[in-house]
Amino acid sequence: MPTVVLMDVSLSMTRPVSLDGSEEFQRKNLAVHGLNMLFEHMASNYRLEFTALMAFSSLWELLVPFNRDYNALQDALSNLEDYDKTCIESALHGVSNVVQQEWGSACPCQVVLVTDGSLGIGKGSLRHSLQNLKQRGDDKKFPLPFPFPTKMYIMCIANAEELQMTDAMENLEELLRLSGGDGQIFTVDGPLCMKTVQAMFGSLIDYAYSPFHAVLHCGNLSSDVQVFPRPEPVVMDEEVEPIPRTVNTDLEIVGFIEIADISSPPVISRHLVLPIAVNKDVDEVGTGTTDELEEEPSASQMAGKSPNFCVLLHGSLKVEGMVALVQLGPEWYGMLYSQADSKKKSNLMMSLFEPGSEPLPWLGKISHLGPISEAAENPYGEDDSKSPFPVQPQVKRSYAQNVTVWIKASGLQTDVQKILRNARKLPDKTQTFYKELNRLRKAALAFGFWELLKGVAELLERECTLLPDSAHPDAAFQLSHAAHQLKLASSGDSQYAAFEHNIQPMHTDFSS
Amino acid sequence: MKMFSVAHKTVFVVDHCPYMSESSRQQVECDVLTKSRAQGVIPLAPVSKSLWTCAVECSMEYCRILYDIYPKDKLVNYVVSDSEFHILNSWRRENQSTHELMAALAAVGPPNPREDPECCSILHGLVAAVELLCKITELQHEKRTALMDTAERVANRGRIICLTNAKSDTHVRMLEDCIQETILEQNKLAACSDRLMAIQQCELVLVHIYPQGEDTLVSDRLKKEISPLLTSEVHSVRAGRHLASKLNILVQQHFDLASTTITNIPMKEEQHANTSANYDVELLHHRDAHLEFFKSGDLHMAGTSTRENGLKETITLKWCTPRTNSIELHYCTGAYRISPTDVNSRPSSCLTNFLLNGRSVLLEQPRKSGSKVISHMLSSHGGEIFLHVLNSNRSTLEDPPSISEGCGGRVTDYRITDFGEFMRENRLTPVSESSHNPAGKLPVERAKAQLERHTRYWPMIISQTTIFNMQAVVPLANLIVKETLTEEDVLTCQKTIYNLVDMERKNDPLPISTVGSRGKGPKRDEQYRIMWNELETLVKTHAGATDRHQRVLECIVACRSKPPEEEERKKRGRKREEREDRSEKNVSKETEDKSWAESERSVRLKGLLEKENPESEVIKDSPDSPEPLNKKPRLIAEEVQPAERAKGPVTLLSMWTNRITAANSRKHQEFFGRATSVNSKFELYQHLKEENGMDVHENGKASR
Repeated sequence: MPTVVLMDVSLSMTRPVSLDGSEEFQRKNLAVHGLNMLFEHMASNYRLEFTALMAFSSLWELLVPFNRDYNALQDALSNLEDYDKTCIESALHGVSNVVQQEWGSACPCQVVLVTDGSLGIGKGSLRHSLQNLKQRGDDKKFPLPFPFPTKMYIMCIANAEELQMTDAMENLEELLRLSGGDGQIFTVDGPLCMKTVQAMFGSLIDYAYSPFHAVLHCGNLSSDVQVFPRPEPVVMDEEVEPIPRTVNTDLEIVGFIEIADISSPPVISRHLVLPIAVNKDVDEVGTGTTDELEEEPSASQMAGKSPNFCVLLHGSLKVEGMVALVQLGPEWYGMLYSQADSKKKSNLMMSLFEPGSEPLPWLGKISHLGPISEAAENPYGEDDSKSPFPVQPQVKRSYAQNVTVWIKASGLQTDVQKILRNARKLPDKTQTFYKELNRLRKAALAFGFWELLKGVAELLERECTLLPDSAHPDAAFQLSHAAHQLKLASSGDSQYAAFEHNIQPMHTDFSS
Repeated sequence: MKMFSVAHKTVFVVDHCPYMSESSRQQVECDVLTKSRAQGVIPLAPVSKSLWTCAVECSMEYCRILYDIYPKDKLVNYVVSDSEFHILNSWRRENQSTHELMAALAAVGPPNPREDPECCSILHGLVAAVELLCKITELQHEKRTALMDTAERVANRGRIICLTNAKSDTHVRMLEDCIQETILEQNKLAACSDRLMAIQQCELVLVHIYPQGEDTLVSDRLKKEISPLLTSEVHSVRAGRHLASKLNILVQQHFDLASTTITNIPMKEEQHANTSANYDVELLHHRDAHLEFFKSGDLHMAGTSTRENGLKETITLKWCTPRTNSIELHYCTGAYRISPTDVNSRPSSCLTNFLLNGRSVLLEQPRKSGSKVISHMLSSHGGEIFLHVLNSNRSTLEDPPSISEGCGGRVTDYRITDFGEFMRENRLTPVSESSHNPAGKLPVERAKAQLERHTRYWPMIISQTTIFNMQAVVPLANLIVKETLTEEDVLTCQKTIYNLVDMERKNDPLPISTVGSRGKGPKRDEQYRIMWNELETLVKTHAGATDRHQRVLECIVACRSKPPEEEERKKRGRKREEREDRSEKNVSKETEDKSWAESERSVRLKGLLEKENPESEVIKDSPDSPEPLNKKPRLIAEEVQPAERAKGPVTLLSMWTNRITAANSRKHQEFFGRATSVNSKFELYQHLKEENGMDVHENGKASR
């Protein structure tokens, strides 16, 4: 989930922070300090996150486009200049553009808005923007909610009391609500200083940027892994199940399925599964995924040399063209597979299915997938020539059965013509003739379209009179029999108009 | 859409009163004469559908689309109203099909024009519809049971679609009032019943149908709130084509559907088989399949076109002829069932049959810039066709570190093929709910249990295992992981064990890897000891399962025990080797800079290993084959050995001496004492110590 850091560089950010003696700080310095801390954390624990840095005042500027170069981001922070007034609305337009250009409108995104809680004055101020929300035309819409799913974190270089003295807090809350409500407003706890700002960014890190560590199990084989990006809680139906579902930290493989059988399933999110070395000496989980290759060659080399289940699993999934079905929680599943980024690089990936007992109709209920060893005979065949998938639905869809629809005149005409065509080829086409005739009869009865039955009966009688002399005598018998039966059906007499009843070919015998 | 939105329950109330037997006055020519037969034949007069026929076929089309796209849990109850109401099906899942409804409709037949119009009314049906909405569906029941204390989260909403011929706007108002009253009454009843639920929201969609060429007596009205419980909208539509397209629009609105037109489908012409023309087919599906277009606002760029009725939009996607049938895992963000709008037209059925036969088609989003973007894929799974949405944006996971750079990435001898075999054995298969014993474990839990059994002892790398590199062990290894063993299985296991004993007696080489363990590989008898230990470890993890598993373990224990003297001799040999091992380790620590000998040795050893493996491969298939070839490479290993053992930098003299000694030692049998000596010292009477249990430690250590 990419991050946009939106940094307020208006003049109000240069307000000095009153400290007892020593140096004098501006709010901007505190913000930069906090952001540096965030970037350092990401560089070591959340390195794969794409982050962009934007600065805004009455205008906005993209200082660093999306990338993973945290040094560049920190450099840009140290070269911030000061500009005029705060104008959040235009900056949000900027965010919207920048994100959509890079990631489209489906990719969820995190926005970290760093400001001091003085939200501008006059036109373009947040207060002004929010006041005239409803009086806008389509062309001047407020940028929130963004078209992409958003998590909005508002970092105020101010404490809550200060914000509540004005309507700043209310306006920020409204802003968060408009963004979709997913996110949080962070304020400084206590007097403004390095320490308290650090604490505030610390809570942001805990809230939004803590790596997701889990253990991947396959029976007794297991591996510690980091799942990136961290899987977010999912709400399936806010009415029936309002509590969000979260992914377990124990990921249990339940079995394996061929790629052809799982067949490009829809997924709600994709994640890298990176094996990590757990440092047993320290209580904390080691940070060393692949991030510390350069910094600690010895440690990562050690980790590289001890066999890891993820690598084994990845290798075999890749070679066999299979996926592993993995349980993420109660009635929630996903799949593990090898994903090649280029010819050389490939990775273990995990995709999450929609929570529920039957995320993929063609697999049936996941809870009812069992080991093949229990089947009477191997459902894949001895030579892997068969497959128990896909699971067939009980009822065929309309396009898979020969349904009758006469909404367009052409549909009706085609069906009548089919009968007539076969009528002319009697007795060779006796079976097809009656099949088509019965199909028409059924539909006409269901639709209460008795007039059609009479009409077709007349057509058949006419065909009978038009038969050439060379025609087989059976043709005439069948035609008049069919016509008679249709007429009986059109009378509505329950004996002849039963839906399940079929007109049978007349039994004739010309051999004797 | 919420699980229990108004779309969960739909009641169709269709007017069956005498006036519905009136003709729609839309004529259908069904006798299309071909030119050659035209002379002298009077064509059949065109037929025309009654209002009833129009209402029924359009409502069936509504249901067809609904059932195609939501085969489950979007339910329809069909009511026909004349002098009384007739309920044609129930909320039950097995009653939800167009076939079921058509059979019931055939039984009802068209309205009787001679029936007394005074006795007939749509009201009977509407009252019945409200009662039906109070009835609990299977899904509502299941969810209420599952949620227990929070059962009130299960809502009861529904929609009534009334197809009738109303007399006036006042008549319509009267119907609305009546429904409102009935809801209040029924909700009171529902409050004191378990099988009924009060209606929280009801949406009335009244469709007034009138014949072509007449003026409508009822005016259209947008949705309006009659009460907090009831909203109502009125559509006044001419029978025939207009009614059909109205209901098509309604089904899209009611079930969040959208339309996609697949364009440029190449199809063989019926008449000229060698030419092909391009066709378009329109499909309906959940509108989320267009989410990306809606959000990015380039709906119009994406080839949207407004159709003739000006109400419905469709998005055009271009067919891309599939090149290969390669199996690929696409990154797909959604898959939605489809239903063709014109199901039995030739282009539609050509497309659906093509897909049902197992081919997938990628669809391209036409863009003004001319760039190609594959945005969707059509594919069938088990007789159902789905429109898959493919991700066409930049991935946030691009350029990840390769797995080879991470933990365990440097290890090169993973048992990839063996694990592949393991995965095949642990593939899944659907177990029908009828054959599943509800008291027992769920199939998926049994699958997990099987994985647990199969991985109790599963070394991940080749050099960690001996037994899994031996063909001879395969029968036992495959059987022992089973939950239960047959008598025959036990026999096979025992045979495997005897076979191994036989190999040991013949001194067949084992595919023991020397990677990781410094120095030459262990001696042959040591190799067997390692193998037996490993086999015992494997079988021990399963011995607790059944008596038969236990018997296999007992067989191993019995077979590997040796006559005392022999065992003794071996132990001593082992001890010696171990000490060598230890001293070697010291050396390697002291000499950080590898001597040339060592590095050469490692190169040779590698070669040796590479050679040794295929050899043992041959041998493990036939345990009876002789053992000779292996001798030579082993010599090389021993030859280099002394260089290792010396402490400090190796002098030319010591190398020479070692070499000569080694060469000489091969010419005669070494004295037992000298051979097992440590630093040329040999402890006498050491068996006395061993009898006091010194060997425990050694055994433990040697297993790795």
